[in-house]
Amino acid sequence: MPTVDVTVEVCGMAGDGTIAAGAMINEALSRGGFSVLGFDSYPAEIRGFGRCVTRSRIGSETIVAMGTDTHVLISLNETEAKSRISFLAPRSVVIFENNPPTYVHHDASFVAELPPDKLLYGMPLSDLAAEAAGTPRGRNLTALGGFAAICGVSPDLFISVVESKFKTKGEKILSSNLKSFEAGYTYALREFSDKKGDAIQFPELPHNDRMVMLSGNQAIGMAALDAGLKLYFGYPITPATPIMEFLASTLPKQGGRVVQMEDEISSIGAVLGSFYAGARSMTATSGPGFSLMTELITHGVMAEIPAVIIDAQRGGPATGLPTKTEQSDLHAAVFGGPGDSARIVIAPTNVSECYHYTIKSFQLAEKYQTPVIVLTDFYLDNRVENLVMPLASEAETRNANVSPTGSEGGNYKRYQITESGISPRSLPGMEGYIFTATGLEHTEKGSPDYSPEVHTAMSEKRHKKIAGALVDLPKPEVFFVEDRLDVGVIGWGSTFGSVLEAVRAVREKGCRVGALKITSLSPLHASLIQEFMERCNKTLIPELNYEGQLANLIGHLHHGSVVRLNLVTGSPFPPSLIIRKIEDLIDRGDI
Amino acid sequence: MARERCVIIGNGPAANAAAVALRQETSELDIMMIGEETFPHYRPHLLPAYVAGAISKEDLFVTPPSFYEKCNIRIRLGQRVVQVKLDQRELVLSHKEIVPFDALIIACGGRQRIPERLQIFEELLLTLKTPADAQRWIEGLKSAETILIVGGDLTSLSFATAIASAGKRVTFMLEEESFWPLPLSRDLADDVKQRLTRKGVEIIEASCIKRLTRKSEDVIEVDTDTGLIASNLVGAFYGLIPNVKFLVRSGLDVERGVLVDENLRTRFDLVYAAGDCAQIYHPELRDYWVSIGYRNAMEQGKIAAQNLSGGMISIAAPPASIFCAEGVMVNTSWWMEF
Repeated sequence: MPTVDVTVEVCGMAGDGTIAAGAMINEALSRGGFSVLGFDSYPAEIRGFGRCVTRSRIGSETIVAMGTDTHVLISLNETEAKSRISFLAPRSVVIFENNPPTYVHHDASFVAELPPDKLLYGMPLSDLAAEAAGTPRGRNLTALGGFAAICGVSPDLFISVVESKFKTKGEKILSSNLKSFEAGYTYALREFSDKKGDAIQFPELPHNDRMVMLSGNQAIGMAALDAGLKLYFGYPITPATPIMEFLASTLPKQGGRVVQMEDEISSIGAVLGSFYAGARSMTATSGPGFSLMTELITHGVMAEIPAVIIDAQRGGPATGLPTKTEQSDLHAAVFGGPGDSARIVIAPTNVSECYHYTIKSFQLAEKYQTPVIVLTDFYLDNRVENLVMPLASEAETRNANVSPTGSEGGNYKRYQITESGISPRSLPGMEGYIFTATGLEHTEKGSPDYSPEVHTAMSEKRHKKIAGALVDLPKPEVFFVEDRLDVGVIGWGSTFGSVLEAVRAVREKGCRVGALKITSLSPLHASLIQEFMERCNKTLIPELNYEGQLANLIGHLHHGSVVRLNLVTGSPFPPSLIIRKIEDLIDRGDI
Repeated sequence: MARERCVIIGNGPAANAAAVALRQETSELDIMMIGEETFPHYRPHLLPAYVAGAISKEDLFVTPPSFYEKCNIRIRLGQRVVQVKLDQRELVLSHKEIVPFDALIIACGGRQRIPERLQIFEELLLTLKTPADAQRWIEGLKSAETILIVGGDLTSLSFATAIASAGKRVTFMLEEESFWPLPLSRDLADDVKQRLTRKGVEIIEASCIKRLTRKSEDVIEVDTDTGLIASNLVGAFYGLIPNVKFLVRSGLDVERGVLVDENLRTRFDLVYAAGDCAQIYHPELRDYWVSIGYRNAMEQGKIAAQNLSGGMISIAAPPASIFCAEGVMVNTSWWMEF
């Protein structure tokens, strides 16, 4: 069976149906048994103009990262598609509109800029769609028909996707879309028969209907539902809004509520209030919103109230790059806010982890009575992966509140200093368990007290509690275990997929390299990280931020030098850059 | 100020020779080649050897892409010129792009000729003009045992012997009267038949194909004036015709090909034609002749470029190699041993 590893791009203008076309490619190829990783890029403006690009990396082996090169470009807008030419691999396929409404001068032509090795498949997309369905609106489907015919993808896969997508929208719309697709397929099959075999061909794989396409945001929303979420409070912000949208359409059906608050401060306030009352709740935001939440997050730390906060990072600082990816909130997530406010921060590295770590965050928040921050980023939130539908076990969703035992006998100390730092937490309405919950420093009973002894003891209690959470937090995972490594690459968040692909590629060349995945960023499994670093002649840490925020956190754990590889282009980390850096470190001969 | 642009339509031997010669003449000109095929410049006469597995695909190609970059020649492949507007000095490409030019060399070559009587059976026939055609033959030959060659041209002779030597059962229905580029004389036909027979090719006597029918997925039945022939694949080899249909309304004088004088000029200033698509005036014959073959095309491409750059070189047409075929004077340099 030939292996394929193909990246397909659809590029158009907002309103061209670009994102829908990309989603259908992902779904169809996923049903066709391929591993799929998709990622969209769209303008920050609300709608009406701006470039939209979807990228789908499709492989017969498991895909863990987005590649750099594009092998098939489907252009729905030639002016916008010009920007994608530089990403085209040699002999890549370009499907484009060859009968635009007006003539195009050579100097402005998309096709004129294409290098000569590209395989061109011009199609009268609008005409075909209009002829088939009476409207050119389905030209994105027509282009997909062309793609299927040119690249040897079974049309049945697309037809089944179109049917599932449009069956609820009425026979007319379904039929129109099917006709548009079929028009493109038939045209390309007929017109390009002489080029058969030139283009990349997808082999036939056993179909897999068990796989579902999920984005990071969808996985987080599903996890919250499965965890028994009762209330969601939020304020819209890219890239976190889809979580609220997902929950708005699903949570009420399970008896919960989604409330759009006036801002992020009230959102986190409401989350703390809900958890205080014993109801699982959550909010999701991005950097600018997270910064507004920090004071109340530390209130949760001080008053020991659980909370679950999703920080979906985007390019910053300030409003920054709303629709671009970055990993630059790490410092803010771990340290942000007033005082010594230790908290739990976990960062999933793929869609499956988005699900499982969101589930886990509720138990962690309840058990350790503290805000838990799940740190994702635009790329992870919006990328889609095909995976078996995740399902949490009963143990994963079980209530983890540490409740009073009843033996307190009228002497309930809400903030009792214990060996673990965890104090039994009563909920409102429990008779005899009244206490003061305050953001002021307090005694074991919750009464405000600013004495040095109390502040010292309580600070120690809170920090001990968080340090103790390590037993429940995912350990760093070593890939390619060896006694000595020339280069060890440490990754976190969405970048880890690129790290893994790069390390695999360099190992295939016979180099001694390994990878370490860190998902628990606060507290850190310092000794395990240190152990890995000590086995490496060089430690490389690629991150999507300017100064290397993880490198700042862990660099001191080892006396050897830590090499930072930082990128702030707003795009996912290309594995090729990591490969080049590893090879550069090895070639330099100082390891 | 924008540089002057010379557009060369085509990517075959004439077009490539013209581009290289032009660049040698001047570094100031913007040279753009526009070729309809997606393949870089290749040697069509090696296609039979490629199909037979005697050479690799890479051996077909003449010029690596880096060559054009080095020479600052812009090459556009897989793009079709659909209209030439000489009064506005613009070309229109099939995707509605308008390309302005200052000078033009038409070197778009020829395309496979299928006689009109067989055109309705075209989808049952394989041809061999491009690497894509070769690929189809390679795919077909994986399971085919019997191959019928119909017509007859220079390529067919080397092709028939090449696949016969690869172990296939090859039958050749040689149409002497319509052999391309010129009808075979009785002596020459006998010589050709003997040579083919010696190489393991079976010659059949038939002069006319009435019908082709697909009998099953891998069998085609050919109804001829002497009986039925069943074969796995049928190859049609009837030579080439100049690929000049798109020029019909351009204002150029187009007959069989684009009419040019002995300096390869058309009647439009700075517009030349060369290679298989040109029909060249011969002052001694007082007639136009067409040429075929790789070497002729290259020579003409070079001369067109030199004349465009201010030269006044005439095409040499050795009388001995000019034949009269179907009323057209033909100069062939492509005849080779087989």
